[in-house]
Amino acid sequence: MHYNATLDRTFFALSDPTRRGILKRLGRGPATIGELAQPFGLTLNGVKKHVGILEEVDLVVTAKIGRARECRLGPAQLEDATEWIDDYRRTWQRRLDRFGTYVERKDGGR
Amino acid sequence: MSENAVFARVVNARPEVVFDALTGQDGQEAFYGEPGWTVESECDLRVGGVWTVTFWPSRDEVYRHDHIFRAIDRPNRLVLDTTESRPDGSIVEYETEFTFEERDSKTLMTMIHRGLPTVKLRDEHQAGVPNAFARLEQAIEKSPR
Repeated sequence: MHYNATLDRTFFALSDPTRRGILKRLGRGPATIGELAQPFGLTLNGVKKHVGILEEVDLVVTAKIGRARECRLGPAQLEDATEWIDDYRRTWQRRLDRFGTYVERKDGGR
Repeated sequence: MSENAVFARVVNARPEVVFDALTGQDGQEAFYGEPGWTVESECDLRVGGVWTVTFWPSRDEVYRHDHIFRAIDRPNRLVLDTTESRPDGSIVEYETEFTFEERDSKTLMTMIHRGLPTVKLRDEHQAGVPNAFARLEQAIEKSPR
């Protein structure tokens, strides 16, 4: 199975409800730090901290536009998360199938 | 939508045969034994008992699953608290349930994992980033065959 530190950080980034709310909001389109702060009742610094964690794992990308910083989704790491789940599922199904084949051989079809 | 990761297989043997094989050393070797891997299983089959399975392709890459039996209903059902320990030092905890249902003298063996962080994320995030989480959901969901 495939595990790595980036994936751990991605799941950590997704573990916070505010950060998930930010992703949900950005799923509807880009927003500035100020626009993200208002609905969550956060300070600008609070939003910057959450956005920074999301940005570290490329769930969000930001760019300076004039005097504001615009945020938008950067979903590359979710592909890694999906790959992790695929690997997980394939591994466990393979174990179950291998065990089933073993039992059938051992039992000799009765 | 299921909250669980579900895996299933029909085994051409009766439930008691499948149940007993699963908790035995040979059965665990079959279950975890990728080609070239070594598997060791120590099973204290009683409620509260510990079932430790260690498996590795080489001594510098050792995986370990520690189960604690929470419910034992031979040959129908097993419920376990599972802790996975990986070579990179990471640990994942979840609940494992095995069920063994007789179907025309065969056994529908089902394995359910509950409480995986990724499964929770799937449920919590499905509305967040629609396409990406839809793929995550598709990756997790598995209907019994």
